[in-house]
Amino acid sequence: MLKKKSFIILTSFLMIFTLMVTGCGGESQDAATESQPLIVAQRSDAVVLDPHANNDQASSRVMRQIYSNLINQNESMELEPGLAESWEAIDELTFEFNLRQGVKFHNGEELTANDVAFTLNRALGSSHVSHIVGAINPDGIVVVDPYTIRIATHEPFAPLLAHLAHTATGILNEKAVTEAGEDYSQSPVGTGPYKLSNWLVGETVELVIFEDYYDEANKAKIEKVVFKAIAEDGNRAIELETGGIDIAYDIIGTDVDRVANHSDLAMVRDMNLSTTYVGFNAEKEPFNDVRVRQAINYAVDMDLIVDVVYLGTGEPSRGPLGGNVWASNQNLKPYGYDVEKAKELMKEAGLENGFKTKIWTNQNQQRIDIAEILQNQLKDINIEAEVSIMDWGAYLDATAAGEHDMFILGWVTVTGDPDYGLYPLFHSKTHGDGGNRTFYTNERVNELLDLARVNVDPAIREAAYIEVQEIVRDEAPWIFTWTGEELTGIRDNVKGFKNHPAGHHKLWSVYFE
Amino acid sequence: MADVKIVKKKRSQWMEVWRRLKQNKAAMIGLFIIGVLVFTAIFADFIAPEGYDDQDLYRRFIPPGSKHILGTDHLGRDILSRIIYGSRISLQVGFIAVGIAAVIGGTLGAVAGYYGKRLDNMIMRLMDILLAIPSILLAISIVAALGANLVNVMIAVGIASIPSYARIVRASVLTIKDQEFIEAARAIGADDFRIIIKHIIPNAMAPIIVQATLGVASAILSAAGLSFIGLGIQPPNPEWGAMLSAGRYYIRDHWHIATFPGLAIMITIFGLNLFGDGLRDALDPRLKN
Repeated sequence: MLKKKSFIILTSFLMIFTLMVTGCGGESQDAATESQPLIVAQRSDAVVLDPHANNDQASSRVMRQIYSNLINQNESMELEPGLAESWEAIDELTFEFNLRQGVKFHNGEELTANDVAFTLNRALGSSHVSHIVGAINPDGIVVVDPYTIRIATHEPFAPLLAHLAHTATGILNEKAVTEAGEDYSQSPVGTGPYKLSNWLVGETVELVIFEDYYDEANKAKIEKVVFKAIAEDGNRAIELETGGIDIAYDIIGTDVDRVANHSDLAMVRDMNLSTTYVGFNAEKEPFNDVRVRQAINYAVDMDLIVDVVYLGTGEPSRGPLGGNVWASNQNLKPYGYDVEKAKELMKEAGLENGFKTKIWTNQNQQRIDIAEILQNQLKDINIEAEVSIMDWGAYLDATAAGEHDMFILGWVTVTGDPDYGLYPLFHSKTHGDGGNRTFYTNERVNELLDLARVNVDPAIREAAYIEVQEIVRDEAPWIFTWTGEELTGIRDNVKGFKNHPAGHHKLWSVYFE
Repeated sequence: MADVKIVKKKRSQWMEVWRRLKQNKAAMIGLFIIGVLVFTAIFADFIAPEGYDDQDLYRRFIPPGSKHILGTDHLGRDILSRIIYGSRISLQVGFIAVGIAAVIGGTLGAVAGYYGKRLDNMIMRLMDILLAIPSILLAISIVAALGANLVNVMIAVGIASIPSYARIVRASVLTIKDQEFIEAARAIGADDFRIIIKHIIPNAMAPIIVQATLGVASAILSAAGLSFIGLGIQPPNPEWGAMLSAGRYYIRDHWHIATFPGLAIMITIFGLNLFGDGLRDALDPRLKN
């Protein structure tokens, strides 16, 4: 009996003691970090921290802080020296890059041309980023000396420099990658202003300042950055309001005004490089008839739809490229909402009695709303559309295989170069998985896209892209829908934050006031 | 002669249940809610002030008032009308899913309980495997594999709740099959099929009915959950869970869009649970005076 009692007392003491110890542990940990961490919330956690293992926005946003590129693209999409101090075109296929000297990786190694060559060769072997580095000829990657490297492409490739500024071409350390093997994504090593300190997969990524960052003048100002995944859109705004986080990415339309009008918060809004479009399967009846595609363009009131769905964020698209992509043609004549004209065209196509069709989209509330309104408005020209919401993977597979009728999808012209925003989407070589999910084919478009890709004269390129956009507008494989906006909510004491149009904002310029 | 007696006895048994059920106020409230729901579902075309997909993008977010009793949603549709039409989908899913589960689960359970031995072992271990997977997870995987639409949601929710019926029926069958009247039936030459259908199932009915009533509630809830995460009924069909999901973006500015579909789900489940509990009490022989 007595034994039992003392046992209970002993256990209780043990429990209390454990509580105290763990409690103390928490406190002392907080005290250890002197400066306040910057907490940034985005929709999902990074998938990988290996630039060649995936190509998604959440990962890119973290990797932007960890890795540096040969060339940087600033917030105005202008190219600036990065790890490469200077570069020049040697011939129409080859660029020579002079690397900065004394650049340190997070593991203490020094950056050499061998790391660059290793990185590009590794990227070429990855299916996730092949569309970014695919133009590079592996035999044309030549290390001239430890600080000089030549990179050649198979064919002349005008947008090469912009591609080298993509987060997928961040420079890796050969030794770190080889040593880590399969686990490299968990222990990334770059030359960026922050290095990984702790990663709770699915929840948070913690970064700490890298003291030996090569760009002394632009060293990070905050000791620690925490990326937090908050999936529910409304909750990111609430967390920001209650002070749980300092920066919230992707504030949704319904919260924008609330954040902007809040006394402690501010909205940072800039048009980005994304576009949302409604596509037709141009190889399939009845959408292989250009008149049907045009008729549907006339039959939907896209300006109203965009206003209703996106609540004043972004703007209705005027073409396949957003306004801040170079050589985008913003003077295309909008179809406008004209049901009579739509009916005429349907009659000409012999479809005045309409047809049945399907609109596919993925689980994205704005796209679902668009689909529902389209379905409703298409009734006016006797088109009976069924809306189908699909799982993301199945959706991509089915649209790549050409099983679809109409679909709603987005595209981000990450490099800011029209080649990235037009070639994969409208060239007949890229049908399906390559990006051209409308299966649109036009010889003139192919010709112009090929020409502009290999020509380095900006004037010739621009003229070609302007013409491509006109043809695409007239032949209507798309209904131009929405050009997106970076909607970042920040707390008032957060200074120095700027949106990057590609979505991966740099955080090392941010400081607290 | 024997048949006549059974029929008479049966009727009196069910009358007795009904009498006890009537005394249970909560159960009567539940029954009333279910009655109203069934009525609105059947006569939705006459009751609803508008069609469920009558969009008007110029009258969005109207708060509840005289013109639109429950207001309009983000696409300018009358929420009351959508909820009324939504009752059709919910009841359909609820009853058909439970029907699938009860028939398949009941049959498996009866076979397992009656024949016993290896067959029993095989069937019930299979059920254990199904039980080991959380039912909503199972439903999600089935819908994800088959594709999201009304029929597949019914099948998915139905399959996910098969094991509970199999278990209940098996347990009842085990207690019944050794009783004298079964032995008597066998003695006069009745085959297994006849014994199961005519003698065992009717006597194992009570727990199945209770489980089914409560099961309808959880099936409706599962379907709403599937629709909430976008794996359920396809738009513009007015499924309550989907309405709730679409309305949650606007909840801080326009509370009514998400609130009323949520209330509809809540009241329905509440009614079904009240009635199910009442029915269980009424059928439980231990409460007999």
